[in-house]
Amino acid sequence: MDKILQDNLRKEVKALFEQKKVDLVIGYETGPTKFTTTPVLIKNSEEADRLVINDFITSNLAKMLVKIKGKAGIVAKGCDSRSIVSLIQDHKVKRENIVIIGVPCSGIIDVGKISRLIGKEPDEIDDITREKDAVLVTSGSEKKSLPLKEVLYEHCLACDLSTPAECDVLIGEPASPPLDKVASLAKINEMEKMTAEQRWQYWKEQMQRCTRCYACRNVCPVCYCERCFVEESEPQWINIAPNWQDNLIFQVIRSIHVAGRCTDCGNCERACPVGIPLRSLVRKMYDIVDEMFHYKAGTNKDDLPLMASYETREAEELIR
Amino acid sequence: MVKKIKQADIGKLLERWAKDYRIFVPSRDGEITRFDRWDGKDTGFLSIYRNTVVPAKSVFFPVKEEMFSYKKDSTGYQLKVPGPSMSKKLLFGIRPCDASALAMLDVAFKEGYEDPYYLEKRRDTVLVGMTCLRPYDSCFCTSLGGGPGESKNVDIMMTQVGDEYILEGITQKGEELLAGVEYFTDASEADISRLRSVKEGALKQITRKVNVKDITQRIYDVIENKEFWETSAIKCVSCGVCTFFCPTCYCFDISDEKEKGTGIRKRAWDSCQFPVYTKMPAENPREEKWRRVRQKVAHKYAYFPTLYGGTISCTGCGRCIRLCPVSWDITAVINSVPEKVTTESK
Repeated sequence: MDKILQDNLRKEVKALFEQKKVDLVIGYETGPTKFTTTPVLIKNSEEADRLVINDFITSNLAKMLVKIKGKAGIVAKGCDSRSIVSLIQDHKVKRENIVIIGVPCSGIIDVGKISRLIGKEPDEIDDITREKDAVLVTSGSEKKSLPLKEVLYEHCLACDLSTPAECDVLIGEPASPPLDKVASLAKINEMEKMTAEQRWQYWKEQMQRCTRCYACRNVCPVCYCERCFVEESEPQWINIAPNWQDNLIFQVIRSIHVAGRCTDCGNCERACPVGIPLRSLVRKMYDIVDEMFHYKAGTNKDDLPLMASYETREAEELIR
Repeated sequence: MVKKIKQADIGKLLERWAKDYRIFVPSRDGEITRFDRWDGKDTGFLSIYRNTVVPAKSVFFPVKEEMFSYKKDSTGYQLKVPGPSMSKKLLFGIRPCDASALAMLDVAFKEGYEDPYYLEKRRDTVLVGMTCLRPYDSCFCTSLGGGPGESKNVDIMMTQVGDEYILEGITQKGEELLAGVEYFTDASEADISRLRSVKEGALKQITRKVNVKDITQRIYDVIENKEFWETSAIKCVSCGVCTFFCPTCYCFDISDEKEKGTGIRKRAWDSCQFPVYTKMPAENPREEKWRRVRQKVAHKYAYFPTLYGGTISCTGCGRCIRLCPVSWDITAVINSVPEKVTTESK
């Protein structure tokens, strides 16, 4: 994404502070290593120049809204804006207390994918430049052009809302990543082709790696429960020491619990330090919710939350 | 003693050592890497591996382990405790930062109380270190007394020089292992000078720095400064990544898994970043996030050094930076701790 967006963002944020419309702004600044960004809290207009917009603004910042006091501005891509709307629907955030600064998103680059494609780790890459349908990766004297679709996060390829609809300020013209639903859902389709036994074996192998660090849950904007069921001791739902069965139960319950609120932002899978393909679970749930209830999370703040509403036709379609 | 071996002979060398030791090498596990039993064949890990995602501590302090099990029969409860491990271990290719972390865990698990589970696994272990030729941009070991070729915590230090490996015997055990293996030849003066230049080149690649001057005192000076810690903690999501994957973190939680008449007591990694870590019936002294982030930082840079002769229990391996889902950066926090308060300014 281009520098114009970043310049616009800084200008808008300065204006928001000067007009006293916000006490603070949640956004991104340059991260500690190459091709990363990190969340930042801006407290005055002088600090606004720390804010960045680039192809690596990965985190869904909506998570930070829940515990913020005062009037907060928040930088939001399409998927993030849907998480914010979902939080408004759940009465976790008050619409009048936030200023949504919308970023028209043309897709976020997955540096891990570039790494695998060129066989070099992120810190061994000198430059990643985005062109129209490709990225140009420079590493020493080597230059390689990679198709954009192959290096964007998978969830971006099936994005349902790339330009935030619910926002107070939009920092650029509407944009969209190149869409490719087949590629986005390829992993899920592969799993569906497996026999039940193969699928069981597959998830067993994945879940064996889980250390129960809870990064997936803790970065999830809609995982805001004060007490998560995994920490309940009476009754104890899962064992404290990780084992693949209980790790799987945790993920299955989490997936069901975020159904109707998950916007497929990809935060959970990105956070996992051991590379478990968690998005496959929650995206599948996202599609089931769409298919069964004709509902897309966080697209209308005035909707009742999915699990809090009921229509009589649901009974006809679902209960057979 | 300094020896060298051709890359192609590494497999044979490991086969030889495998007669007396269980060999652990950097291994792939799905998307990640960790130290695991050598499969007896593959030496491909030598070329792909920079450092394992899971630190080498997991060999001695696994993510979960059984402490004992019990069973009820007609005479009462029968207790079963895991027996001593009969075989010796050899970790081949451990990085200097992780070897230095083991030296710290050795102290933590031995002083005050002796932890039989860790010490039993750690007993008779040989560490064969390997110089980092491609450190990460998140590595900062040189600020903490380490370095990509640092050999003080290993038995043998190994460095790739061209298509050969040069091995330096560091301890007596290491010297013994280097003696009498026919795949080795003596390293020449020229080899040693090449070794030196490779190590110097590696050292120059570590550019991230952390200011540890008077750090323990500096941290105590700001220990009650809520604003400082709140600022440091603001983006933290309180997951367990930085602590679980830290080579020097050693907290665990004990739990019982019971069924009718039988049960297993287990322990598993725990993290001071979890709010439930300090939760007690009446209160939680670290309910607020800034207190937990303070605990993590202060434990490594102030409490541990205070307890154990000034040793900072951070090796600069950079995992917490690389793996953090929000790119929290411990070096930025340490560098932002104000200078020591002098008596005049007090």
